[in-house]
Amino acid sequence: MDVNIVLILFYGALVGFLSGLVGVGGGFLITPLLIFTGIPPIVAVSSGAAQMAGTASGASYLHWRHGNIDFKMGLILLIGSWLGGGFGVYLAKVLLRAGQFGNVVVFLYVILLGFIGVSMLIESLRAVFRIAAPAAVDAPAKVSLLRKWMARLPWQTSYPASGVRMSALGPLILGAAVGVMTSLMGVGGGFIMVPVMIYVLKMPTKIVVGTSLFQLLFTTAAVSVMQAGVNHSVDPFLALVLILGSVLGTKLGARLGARLPAEKLRLILALVVVAVAIKMVVTMLLTPEHIYGMTVEVQ
Amino acid sequence: MLRRVLLLSGWLLLNPAWADEPLVVVPETSQVNITTDFEGTDLKAVGSMRGPADLVIKLVGPPQIAKLSREAKLGPFWIEGETQKLGGAPSLLFLYATAPIAEILPQAEREKYGLVLEGVPVRLEPQLQAHASDDWRKAFFRIKERQGYYHEDDTAIRVFGNRLFIADMRLPGDLQTGTYTVETLVVKSGKVVGHDVGHFTVRLAGIERRVWNAAHDHSWLFGGLFTLLAMLLGFVLNAFPFRRAR
Repeated sequence: MDVNIVLILFYGALVGFLSGLVGVGGGFLITPLLIFTGIPPIVAVSSGAAQMAGTASGASYLHWRHGNIDFKMGLILLIGSWLGGGFGVYLAKVLLRAGQFGNVVVFLYVILLGFIGVSMLIESLRAVFRIAAPAAVDAPAKVSLLRKWMARLPWQTSYPASGVRMSALGPLILGAAVGVMTSLMGVGGGFIMVPVMIYVLKMPTKIVVGTSLFQLLFTTAAVSVMQAGVNHSVDPFLALVLILGSVLGTKLGARLGARLPAEKLRLILALVVVAVAIKMVVTMLLTPEHIYGMTVEVQ
Repeated sequence: MLRRVLLLSGWLLLNPAWADEPLVVVPETSQVNITTDFEGTDLKAVGSMRGPADLVIKLVGPPQIAKLSREAKLGPFWIEGETQKLGGAPSLLFLYATAPIAEILPQAEREKYGLVLEGVPVRLEPQLQAHASDDWRKAFFRIKERQGYYHEDDTAIRVFGNRLFIADMRLPGDLQTGTYTVETLVVKSGKVVGHDVGHFTVRLAGIERRVWNAAHDHSWLFGGLFTLLAMLLGFVLNAFPFRRAR
């Protein structure tokens, strides 16, 4: 289909700008914006994965140079996410054949964006208005239970770079879950990976960011290759324009972000995420203008 | 374009035997190339006929397989529901004429020559009951007309001195590749009295073609190389301004 290249560049730059301002990946915003433009969900998801592989490469290199990557942990995460990613790509193929891929992606995004947006909104509103968070009694208890459960799992091994010891099954399962999400939604999964690594796996924050980026780079790269190989759904022109836009946007956002208050920036992003989630829900609630839709099989 | 018209006029004047032929049509080109910046193109067909008559030009694109989906309600949500494959129908069907076709040809003739937009045979997979398949068929034609791939126009043919004519055909940007047929009919007193068929090809060209071939013939290799290129581009774009800032 024909798409306006300037609009795609603008979307890339907008998401990159927000990412640079607040320091999040932004993959969870690119895919819905592309779907709003009329790009088929499978192409949006696959090209989004290729775009993230592109934008994550520079940042991963910098973290590698600074010694912020726990390669042992990263490789186990990667094995998990490749397995999960492979499973996700074939699941996408099955859903495509059944004509349900678009439905699944939209529902997953409504849940994901609703959860991220509302959490960020509450947190940033509290920070802006300096309201103390209610004492969370249950959360640490749950984390502690999870850590006890993980201590009983087999394949216990130590990770010297992170200074922790745990079962290899923990990062393997975490990686697999993120891999499935990358294939079905085109997201890097940093928003799940980072808190789990910090609070459950108890890894140092500096190592978490580098290792998560390392895992994200090679997971999105593998998913991009698999989507191109299995579903022929990576649009190279779309992905390249997105990379260009997002890298430039990120740089601009990062410069501006350094001069603006962090809590207000997070509030802006939270509002954008909530707005996108609301738009998706409203689109699903309103009676469609056209009951029938058509896609043409490429021959 | 002007050269073609002059050549055709000269040929008509100098060659009376040739002028006895009821109809000759020369499409402007035999090939349309789709490149990265292709946004559609204007095509002309130049022709001659023997005397005053009406003309109908039918431009038919290669057949395509379309997947139709029908929105359905799931609780309060509208989701993509039932789907149906349609095959055999042309990707594009433009009917150009010197007057509204229904006014110059009776229904039987229009159907015989395939000059009814919604009369194109469509193959449904899987087969459905007649009433059910009718809904899908109608939806297909509605979408095609809405998207501008099926339409009728009685202003696009200009006739000069009842002998020469030029048809202006606008092709959209998103074209199916393959062979397109330009069928020209001369109409007199409600009958088709002259007939000519020409063809042109639409194909991908330049980098677009190479990328398309690679993405479909060697999809895994293409995926690997493109992902590497994306990573390299991201890396270079990220690194370049740092170096300049130092």
